[in-house]
Amino acid sequence: MIIVDHVVTVEQGLWTNFCVAIEDGNLLYWDYTASRDQTDSVIAPPAMLPSWAVEHDWVPGRDRPARRTLELHFMVKDTLGLRNGIVTEVELELHAPLRAGESVRAEQILRSVGPERETRLGTGRNWEIDVQYRKPDGSLAGIQRLHFLAYGKVAA
Amino acid sequence: MNTPMRGTIAPRAGDRLPELVIGVTRKMIIAGATGSRDWQPQHHDKDAAKQAGLPDIIMNNYTQAGLISRYVTDWSGPIGRIGRLKFSMRRPICPDSQVHFSGQVVSVEENGDQIAWIQLDVAMKQGDTLLTSASVRLAMPADASARSPWRCPPDEWRP
Repeated sequence: MIIVDHVVTVEQGLWTNFCVAIEDGNLLYWDYTASRDQTDSVIAPPAMLPSWAVEHDWVPGRDRPARRTLELHFMVKDTLGLRNGIVTEVELELHAPLRAGESVRAEQILRSVGPERETRLGTGRNWEIDVQYRKPDGSLAGIQRLHFLAYGKVAA
Repeated sequence: MNTPMRGTIAPRAGDRLPELVIGVTRKMIIAGATGSRDWQPQHHDKDAAKQAGLPDIIMNNYTQAGLISRYVTDWSGPIGRIGRLKFSMRRPICPDSQVHFSGQVVSVEENGDQIAWIQLDVAMKQGDTLLTSASVRLAMPADASARSPWRCPPDEWRP
């Protein structure tokens, strides 16, 4: 299991960049007055939940490389000697929305690893990882279930 | 920008969502990846993507989740609260694609409480090629007098 705890603070400027990229005009992400009735204040797009557990790519004084987007996946891939990995299926179960100033603790758990098999992209394997996201008070923000395919055996 | 709605749609099984066509650009894929804090090279570096056997940079899964969510809430209005979003990425989405979104209400569950759970199927296609298929469980107020699903107490929220 890998635990990532409060590596970034949820903030509106960051989620607005994402909304701009995908042209999402949902008022709950933009408009304080309109969101008051539903969510008290603006919220981060719920689909962005996993983004709040990704380390900054650079931090002053950090003496190790940044953890990769889903570190446990890369550890499995490297251990099994596979060069490339892609996400094939994602399930997001969404609970308490996140607001500016909040953070999450993410627990990455390896659920299963399939046998080696031939894929369209070469010899590879599938595996599944679950990630639970909780706020500092322990309340559940959501659960992510990911299915991966990794391929391209690294020569021994 | 969409506007709050209450009671303006009453989804029924078989209803179709309005189609949406998105012209995917290199800028959108890169902005979506960096906006979702995904620094993996196959989402911004064409050479790295090709070395990984991909045709070009590919849209990351967070951007796809965001677009599916946007497609659904553009239809429901902000009162629609997504409880569960599941999607399978069958073909990579690369720059210069025209992605056609379509969606359909599969079922409506009303359990006598405040929420009506709408089960939706969503497809993202280029021409006849299915790129991504998704299923979405969306909470809407059960009727005009019901509370917003955003006001559902955590112990009653069962997505």
